[in-house]
Order: sequence, then C-alpha cells, then structure tokens
Amino acid sequence: MSRSKINSRRAFIKKMGAASLSAASISIPTASFLSSCSNLEPIDTSTADTVILLWMAGGMAHTETFDPKKYTPYSKGVESKRVLSTFPKIPTAVDDLYFSKGLESIGSVMDKGAIIRSYRSADLGHILHTRHQYHWHTCYEPPQSVQAPHIGAWIAKELGPVNPVIPPFISIGQRFTVGEAEELKAFHSAGFLGSEYGPFLIPDPSSGLESVKPPQGMSLKRFEARNKLYKELTNKSALMEQASGYQRASLMRSMEQSYALLNSPESEVFNLSLEPKSSYDTYNTGRFGLGCLMAKRLAMHGARFVSVSTEYEPFLGWDTHENGHLRLIKMKALIDGPIAQLIKDLDETGHLERTLIVLASEFSRDAILEGRPGEKVKDQVQQPTIINDEKFYGMHRHFTDGSSILMWGGGVKKGLVYGKTADERPCYSIEKPVVIDQVHQSIYHALGIHPETNYNIEGRPFYTTPDGHGKPLLDLFA
Amino acid sequence: MEENVLNWLFLFLGRFHPLAVHFPIGLLVTALLLEGLTLKGKRPGLREGINWMVYLGAISSILSAILGWLLSTFDNYTGDLLDLHKNLGILTAVLASVTAYVLYKTQDRKTPNLFFYRSGLLITVITLSITGHLGASLTHGEDFISSVLQKKKNVYSDVETVALLNELKPLDSLSVKQKDALNLEVRAVLAHNCYQCHSVNKQKGELVLDNKRGVFKGGESGEIIVAGQPEESEIYKRITLPSNHDDVMPKKGKVLKDSEIELIRLWIKRGAHWADQALNVFPEATLALTKPELPEDATHKHPIDRFVFNYLDENKIKPSELIDDRTFLRRVYLDILGLLPTIAEIDLFLKDTSPDKREKLIDQLLNDDKNYTENWLSFWNDLLRNDYSGTGFITGGRKQITDWLYNALMENKPYDVMVKELMNPTAASEGFIKGIQWRGVVNASQRTEMQAAQNVGQALMGMNVKCASCHNSFVSNLTLGQAYGFATIFSDSILELNRCDKPIGKMAKVNFLYPSLGSVDGSTVAERLEKLSKIIVKPENGRLYRTLTNRIWKRFLGRGIVEPVDEMDNAPWDADLLDWLAINFIESGCDLKELMRTIMTSKTYQMSSVHYSDIAEIKSKTYQFQGPTIRRISAEQFSDAVSQIIAPVFYATAYNPNPNKLFTNRIWHRERKFDRDVLPDPGKRFFRYKFNLSVDDVKSAKVLVSVDDAYVLFINEQKVLSGNNWKNVDKIDVTKHLNKGENIIAIEADNLGLIPKPAGILFALKMINHDKSEILITSNTDWLSTNIEPNDQWKSLNYDDGLWEKTKNFGSNHWGELLDFSFEDNNHLFARASMVKQHPFLKALGRPSRENITTTRDEQATLLQALELSNGSYFNSVLETGASNWLERHRQNSGNIADILYLKALGRKPSKKEKKIMLLTLGEQPKKEAVQDLFWATLLLPEFQFIY
Repeated sequence: MSRSKINSRRAFIKKMGAASLSAASISIPTASFLSSCSNLEPIDTSTADTVILLWMAGGMAHTETFDPKKYTPYSKGVESKRVLSTFPKIPTAVDDLYFSKGLESIGSVMDKGAIIRSYRSADLGHILHTRHQYHWHTCYEPPQSVQAPHIGAWIAKELGPVNPVIPPFISIGQRFTVGEAEELKAFHSAGFLGSEYGPFLIPDPSSGLESVKPPQGMSLKRFEARNKLYKELTNKSALMEQASGYQRASLMRSMEQSYALLNSPESEVFNLSLEPKSSYDTYNTGRFGLGCLMAKRLAMHGARFVSVSTEYEPFLGWDTHENGHLRLIKMKALIDGPIAQLIKDLDETGHLERTLIVLASEFSRDAILEGRPGEKVKDQVQQPTIINDEKFYGMHRHFTDGSSILMWGGGVKKGLVYGKTADERPCYSIEKPVVIDQVHQSIYHALGIHPETNYNIEGRPFYTTPDGHGKPLLDLFA
Repeated sequence: MEENVLNWLFLFLGRFHPLAVHFPIGLLVTALLLEGLTLKGKRPGLREGINWMVYLGAISSILSAILGWLLSTFDNYTGDLLDLHKNLGILTAVLASVTAYVLYKTQDRKTPNLFFYRSGLLITVITLSITGHLGASLTHGEDFISSVLQKKKNVYSDVETVALLNELKPLDSLSVKQKDALNLEVRAVLAHNCYQCHSVNKQKGELVLDNKRGVFKGGESGEIIVAGQPEESEIYKRITLPSNHDDVMPKKGKVLKDSEIELIRLWIKRGAHWADQALNVFPEATLALTKPELPEDATHKHPIDRFVFNYLDENKIKPSELIDDRTFLRRVYLDILGLLPTIAEIDLFLKDTSPDKREKLIDQLLNDDKNYTENWLSFWNDLLRNDYSGTGFITGGRKQITDWLYNALMENKPYDVMVKELMNPTAASEGFIKGIQWRGVVNASQRTEMQAAQNVGQALMGMNVKCASCHNSFVSNLTLGQAYGFATIFSDSILELNRCDKPIGKMAKVNFLYPSLGSVDGSTVAERLEKLSKIIVKPENGRLYRTLTNRIWKRFLGRGIVEPVDEMDNAPWDADLLDWLAINFIESGCDLKELMRTIMTSKTYQMSSVHYSDIAEIKSKTYQFQGPTIRRISAEQFSDAVSQIIAPVFYATAYNPNPNKLFTNRIWHRERKFDRDVLPDPGKRFFRYKFNLSVDDVKSAKVLVSVDDAYVLFINEQKVLSGNNWKNVDKIDVTKHLNKGENIIAIEADNLGLIPKPAGILFALKMINHDKSEILITSNTDWLSTNIEPNDQWKSLNYDDGLWEKTKNFGSNHWGELLDFSFEDNNHLFARASMVKQHPFLKALGRPSRENITTTRDEQATLLQALELSNGSYFNSVLETGASNWLERHRQNSGNIADILYLKALGRKPSKKEKKIMLLTLGEQPKKEAVQDLFWATLLLPEFQFIY
C-alpha cells in the first residue's frame, strides 16, 4: 500500500470518526484503551514509507569513523592528548567530505545520502550506555513515570504495517542475554502503547524465518488441520451460543490474524537462504551484515520500521575500553560492505526513494574526555598520559558532545553535510548542534506523522517527543 | 447603528437555521424511503407525492443553507468542523436542486428513466446525513456520540454558574461570603477555559490567570481588570469580541458560555474581589468514610447483596442468574489460588449436598496459604512494582521486597500493618519507597523521593502525583508544592521545588497529601517516615481503604466500583457500597482474606457474567453495575493451568522460599574476548574435579545434575549419566562408583546452537557416611575446564590437567532456582509463574515489566500473543512433552484422553459433538502430534481463556 493511500485512509477514518451516523461504527482501538489527541490536522509531509535504523551500539567514536581529525600514527611514547584519530582520512563520493580509513564503501555511496556531524547526546552524568540508548530510542530520559515507547512502536502504532504480513516493528541483532539486558529490554518496548506495537525480535537473522512459520517440525498440512480443529471446537462450545464479549472477539481476531500470517507464503521474505549466493556472501560479514541483508529483503517487500544492531554487549563491539584502534579495524570491516551494499541494492531497485536509512550511535568516544567538555563526569577508563602500550591507543572514554548520524533515501538531500565538530580537542559540535528530538521529528516528518502526535496516559498527554516541542530538521530534506 | 440592526437581523434569521434544517432532512429522507417502495414499478400512486417532497426538500435545503451561512457569519462559530459542515451544507443544497431538476426533466418523458434521479436522491440523502451529523457535533460537541462511550475530558456544565448568577445578580450589595463564592466561580471558569495557556505552567502573552498576582498584574497588553468597570477591562473586551476577531479569547474556536461571560462581568462590576481560599477545580472525594445504613431487604441477608440488589432495583436492572457449581468452582479456584480444580476436587464438590458448600469451599481455599500466596503475589508485585529482574538492579539502584511480601501474604498480614511496614520499612521492605535509580543524573520529577511520592500516591491512595511532580496538576487539585512536600518526607534534605525540571527557588514544606491527618514533620527521614506510617493508616484516611477494597472488587468482578482504579476522586457507581466495604474491612482488622471472603460469599459475586461487546461500555462514566464481567485469565494463571494439566511450563523460580534449598551456582568454562569475560561460544567444554575420600565406606551417595545444554557425566572414568534438558534435574545413586582415596568427576558438556549464549553446569554430590555425617561436593570455581578437545585419558585421575583453567561462576540468575534440585523428595511439580523471572512467554501474555506500577492488565488478546501461542517454540515444546506424558499415562485411549482433557481444562466432559471432533483428530491410535494439537486447540478455547 502506498503512503498516500494510507494517508487518505487515515484522514478518512479521522473524519468519519466524527461524522459517522451511528455510534456502532465508531471503533475503539482494540489493543488498548488510549485516547489520542484528535484535534491534529492531518498532514502529508511524507517522503518515506519505511525506516531502517542501523544501530552502532556501544558508542562509536566520530573521529575514528565518519568525522576524522588529524591522524596521529601509533608510536611508543605518544601523548594521549595528541591522539584525535588513529586512522588516516580517505575521500568519499562527495567533494570535501572525508571518512576514516576502512569506510571506503560507505564513502562511495555518500552521493546518495546526508551526514549530520553535530549530534549532541543528552547530558546524563555518570555514563551508562543503556540509559543513553533508551534516550536515543524513546526520546525520553529514563526513568520515566510511565513506560516510554520505542520510536519503532510509535511508528507501528501510527502507521501500521506496509505489508500486513510483515510486522511493522522489527528489531534485528540484539540478544537479551548480555550484560545490561534488563535495561536493553526496557526500551525495546512499546511501553504504554501496548504490546501489540512492540518489537518483533530477531536476535539472529539466519534463523529469522522460524519466527514467522508454523512451529518447527509441523507440516503445513498439520498446521492447517490444527487450525480447523480449533475453529470447530470453538464453534461447538456451548458458550459460543451465548452473547459475544469484546474479550473473546479480540481473541478470535488475533488468532485469525496470526494464522494468516504464519500460513502466508510471503514469510519467505525472512528466509535468507533464498538470496543468491553472491549477494549473501557480500553481506555476510557476520550477524550484523546478515541483518542488513534481511533489512533489504524486508524493505523491498513492505516493512515499516526495521532496526539492525551491531549488538550491544558491555565492553564489546563499539564499546571500546581498550585496544580501540585494533577493534575499530574489525568493526569497520563488519559494517562497511553490508551497509554500502544495502544502499546500492535499494537504490538500484528503486526502493531507496521511499526508504529512509538512518545510521547512529548513542554517543561518541574520545581518548581523554568523559561526558561533556568542561563537566566533571566520573571516568570509567584509565588512560595514561603517555601511551607506551598499543592497548591504550584508541578512543576509550565516552564523549557526549558530538557524534555523526548518517541518512540515505526517503527524501533526504543527497551529498548534504550538516553541522560541524571542532577540528581540535574537544572535538565537540560547533555548528548547528542537533538533539534527539530533532532526529525523531525528522524521521516522523519523513513518514508524515504529525509532530504533536500524543496519547493521553494517566491524565496527561504523552507526545512522541517531550511536550511535543521537537521540530524536524527541514534542511535535511530535498 | 444601521449596521448593528442588520447584524441583529441576520443573526436573528440565522438562529432559525437549526429549525429549518429539519425540513430538508424530513422531506428528502422520507422521499428516499417512499422511492424505495416504488422500485420495480410498484405503488405508482406514490409518485406525485414523492415529487412534491423532492421539490420542497430542495427548496428548504437551499433556505437552510442560506440561514446556516448567516448563523456562521454572525454568530460565534469557527473552526474546521464548521467549515466542513458549511461546505457540505452548500453541497447538499446543490445536490438536492440538481436532483429535483433531473426529476422534473424526467417527468417530461413518456417512459421516465428514473435511474439518474434516484441515484441523485441517494447521494443527496447521504451527504445530508453527514452534514446533519456534523451540525449536531457543532451544537452538542464533537464528541456528542463518542462521549457516551469514552471519558475524554472533565465535562462540566454551567448549571452552578447560572444558579449563582441568578442568586447574586438581583442583589444590591454582596456579603463577603457571596463575593468569595462569586470569585471562586469565576476562577473555576478561568480554570476550565484559560489555564491551558495562561497559567504558571504556560504563560502565553505573559498572562497568568491561576493566581491573584497574575490576574491583577495582567499580561503583555497591560492590566486586564479595571475593578467596577467591566467594559473597560481588557479581559471582558476580549471574551466578548466576535469569534472571527484576531484578538478574541479564548482561541481555537472555543467560546465562553453566555452565563460565564455574564459572571465575569458581574464579578468585575462588583469590584473584582479575590477570595483567600484555594480553588478546587476538580471534584474531590471526601477523605473520611461515611458509614452507610444497610438497605432494608427481606430476601437478601448478605450486606453486599442488600446494597447491590437495592441498587439494581432502583436502576430497574434485572439481576443476572447465579452461576452453576462448575462455573463457580472454576471461578473461585482461579480467583483465590490461580489454579484449576482437579477432577477429584470437582467430583467432591458436585456431590456435596450441604447448602453452605460454597462458603465452605471459599474458606477451604483461603486457608491454602501457599497457593493463595503464590497466586496473589502477582497482584502485589504489579501494584508495588516489585520484580526479580529489571532496570536498576545492575547498578544497585533497586531492591526487591519479595521475601517480605511472600511472608506477609503467607501469614495474611493485616493491610494496615503492611502499609506501615512499606512506609517505615525494614531492610526487607524498603524496596518499595526506594524506587529505581539508574546510574547518572535524573530529571527532578524522577528523583527517587519523588518516585516514592508518586508510587505511594498511585498504589495506596489512588491518586495521581505524577502530573503534580512537574507542575500544578491538570487533572486534579494537587499542586507542585504539595507533591514536593510529600516527596520531602522520603528525602534526607528539604527539597527545592522544580517546575518542569527547573528550580524555582522555593523550598518544600513537608506535608502529607492530607495535612488534616496529622503532621509528618521531623528532623530526620526516619522520624518523618515513622510519622507517615502512623497517619497514613488512620481510619480517618478512608481513601487508603477505599482504594484497596476497590482494587479487590475489580479483581473479582472485573470492574471497579470506581474507575479507573487509580483515580479515586471519580464517582463510584455506589458510594455506600464502597464505603461499607472499606469500613467493614477496617473493622475486620484489615484482614485481606476476610475482605475476599465477604465479597465471594455474596450472591453478587456469584452472578453469571455480563457480556459487553465493547470495552467502552465498562469504562464509561455512566456505567451501571449489572453483574461481574468476563475476565481473561492472567499470564500466570494460564501458565500454571498448563503446568497443571499438560506439563510444567516452568521448573525454576527466581525466588525460592524453601529454607532448605541448596546452593545454585552454575559453572562453565571462562570465555574471554579482548580481555573481557563474554558469553560462552557454542561447542564442547570439558570439566574435571578431583576429591579425596578419607572414609572407608560411604553408606550412600547421590548425584544431582542439570546442565545447559547437554552433558555426559563420568565418575572415576565410568559413564554415569547423560542428559540434554537442563530443566530436568537428573538424579542417580553413585555409591558404587566411589573409592576410598582420590576420586575424579569428569563432565563433557556442550553449548548447542550457533551463537554465543549462557551455558552452565549445576552439580551436587551428597555422600552420607555410616556415622550419618555428610559430605557435599558441588559445582564451584575450583573445577577445571578446557575448550580444547583433550585425549582419551582426560577422564582419568592421572591425566595432566596443568593447562586447564579454573571455571567461572555464572550464578543462577539466567536459569532461576530449579525447585527439583534437592536431595529431599519435596515433590515440587512445577514452578508457579508468579515466582519466575520475567520470561518472553509470560511477557507476551501480558505480565508487565514492573518498572512502573501496573494496576490493570489488558484483557484483550493481541496479535503478538497469538503468534507466541501459535508458533512460539517454548510453548510448543511444553505441549510436546505433555503429549508424550499423556500417551504413556492414558495408554493411548483416545476416548479417555478427550474426556480427561476437557474435565481438567474446562471442568466438564465434552459434548457428543465435541467428542466426535476430538476423536476424529485423535484417531484410534493417537499419535503424539494429534494429542499435542488437541491440547493446543483446547487451551486456546475462549472457554479456557476466560473466567466466565
């Protein structure tokens, strides 16, 4: 279904909600009993139907990736304060835009996208990654007095699925058996919107198909027979003859939907083994790469919101507390090929036009500064003044005042560089600083979701971004 | 002057619009109906009449449109809704005219083709209906229809305004009391219409109307009130401007009622007096309980029934029938114990012929302390946001109260004592007011002291403190100052007020929500908490007891006497009943079980359930009690029921109250990446542990072992056991395998799968000597392990394990505590779902993550739930295990399986028709798959999923 159709349908429903002739035709949302602010004028700013979030979990250093500064090669005895970047810079497809070595492929597709170089994370004091991640994904700083929904849940709630067979909010790559798992769970949630809009979790993309097929070991024939048995027994139950209640109606409806979904041939979208071998191999740098491959297949068949995470596990991935330089060589190898291929594939098939791809991380890193410049935040990493061991060569502290966000497709300007960080330490955002409210509102803007969308929860309006104040960055869009 | 007269005339004419519109509606709709009767050439006699109706309808629709246009231009209507109504109204007039014209033209022909005319008429009537509805929305409010369904805003009427106006207007001079009343009413009008933009919270045009200083100071455009001269006062000018004027107030198409404008005029004219007392804009429930008289009732003895049947009678509602014994049995079992009755228990109850058997059963179940506790634990965990895992624990910013709570329920601790112990806690119960602290700095409204105020307010007092912890509340009379005063009770230091996270230079004044209950002032937190714990449980604090009794009522009858249950200022459907329950509860010594007994022994509880086709009917403000509602069984009840009748869903708990429980540490090979401990990679690991036995002969030796995922156990090179399901504790006697001197335990274990995940060995060996002394050997970090496949000799004593490493202790958090991991024969069949760590299966079925208080769970099913139940591997593996067990137990007799399954699950045998369907699936010789699928279908039946 195209975006414009959806919009007119929603507008229609909104209007008819007020105009319908009989009370019977007014339906209350089934999943939860929320009252929304109905006075919002429908808007159509939409330039995208689908969002793919490429999540660089653990704090990706901007000076080591998409915003390189002066390169200081390793030599024994080098001073920590001299180290801004541990890689040389390389040119990209955009004039005067340079990336860090190891990101050549992503650099080659920058003529199709934009980069924000001035993202400022929240200032939350003593760093806890998952708190910043919660903030990035929900736009609210934890804890909150009600459970805040993930941006994917908001989108799922407002727009629903593109293809009814593909859940509107899919989260790929994050397991919940790692450290800080409970904190990760806290924002992988639809919060007060109700679990209907929660993430469909695929921790391992190579076994994603299992989630959308009949149970393992059950043939399609048996699956169909089981459903038939269920229906017959339901109809024969004496209670069926009594008046129906809304609770039972919701059960019957959900069971039917679930059966249709699991029985649908379209679930093969989740089957990565159907991908041609050459394509599979290009993407297969590990679970993240395969996640990008699944995101591509989903986007091409009508996904709404997909996040692919490099996975957060304390001290692993982008969370470099030591050996930062060496770790980043591996991390870049993990992401560079698959991300560039994802953009190329979607571009060539025409899907990039209405698919917004966003690459981001909760904050950046620095060799010396913890938190914000000028604020005393408790250090979590011992960093010597003089580096005599390569282990200390890299960005090991958490820096919250400047990081990069990349965007492609979905109406975003091509080749745009937005904002700037300082070239000398502290390498903080010095031009057009961007905060999370603006990032979320830009995504909502691209999807045509009203900036003041809110629901009344426990007597107060809860907006997509706090108090409904966030404004989209209109400069990002062509 | 001339213009004014014209204005007046047009406005006068315009006001005939609502009258005029009924002509086209009546005429055209009737014409359409009659037209329907003439289809296929029938009833030709109607033709002439219909024609006239259409012509007149068209003319009257044009007239209505013109009058409507006048009304919209010269009266106070604006907004999108109006524009839509206007445009559609004009469209209706045009369509009606075209239709009339087509009809007129059609009459010329000999064989008239009525198709175009009829279509035109149909379209016209549809447009007309929509227009009409929009018009109704304009006059009656946009939520005219939906307001019946759903509580949106505090709807208020101007009845009081008008009454006050009528009282005061004729008087020459006003008493102070009357002036106060006038001022308070004016402020109420301002509160409902102006505070949204002009309050301390939001100061549009620099104007603040919610305090005296602001009102008399004025805003950007200067002072707004000239006492005695309303016509000179800016505020009066603004509210009387035409609605399309740029400066009119309020904005957004809102218009003050005439009575309200007149009231403000009167107030200014009489000197704009300001009353000292605070304004209570929102309705407030009285704090104290009022002891109601029991209604006279010859037929009903039970006090609840006397209230309820009297209520039903007064409201002319026919009471529903009492439920039969089977339905009653299932209802009370699930409500008290959260379990299903067994077949034997059903039989026993049905056979019992004593008249008081229901009362006896209720008592018997309430006396089953353990199962009662393990069912009600979920209710209290939700309410007190207590959980075994969740945010905050990782940095020590949160504490469980599970042990305290479990024991409080076991001993049926009086509710007032529970509240006291939560307010003035010991180490065991301090978790509730301690809140959740994430690492780092937090928003002022989320500091733990404020969380305590919010949580006590919501859970215990049914009051929303959340809004007021950021700014004066929009939904109640609670102020920022009161919220901070309350929070300061829990704080080491006096808190400074923060409005929307910004300090405002005012320090809090310590107080409880209701200062009349007594002072909570004190120099230390301990002193304040001590005082709070005493005053909050005073019987004068009726709200505490109303809130609790209302929650229990809702649990049993599906809908509270007050709804939502956290907003206890809302009106109850029977105030006497609620207060009687609360007083009776206090008089019983705050005995929770007695409260439950009181409700359950009433006929009211034992009525058959009422079916609602829309949840809105239950939530509605105008709800009238007709009987209990259908309730969905909770995630925990579902899980426990499956455990009871199919196979255990859970084997391990997060909390194990057994005082004799064993240690629970699981070990695995230490895996490192980048010098960090990480989750174990898939693959085989090898473990060794040597020990010396000095005694000659061990009398008996027994091993308990559980390994995630698979293992082979060797003792002194002999293979002893193997297994591949950590939930099963494998137990074996190993006496014959042990030697005096050195012994060696060797385990080959495998972490299956493709990606790193938790793995662990849980092992215990207990040896009892002839002198009854015991030796215990357990999995601990002295065990050695390797991930490199060793040579064949690795199981032997003499093998050189010098390069092997010490194992890592992975604790039990991931797996929970296996109830069966015990040398006692304690016969734990399954782990109650209320005691297991949050699990994806339970989460999907609606067990909340307890970061915040949850007082109502969703009763409706969702797609994600249906998916989890349809193809979730966890649930399906339980069903599969159950199917194997059943086939063994019931010797593959299809008829037996069908009967027993329905008896266990639904408390009844299948009907003939049902049994036929079941046997068709099972066949003569049932296969595991068929039994599994029958289980699945039965467990998802509405009859199973709901408490009827």
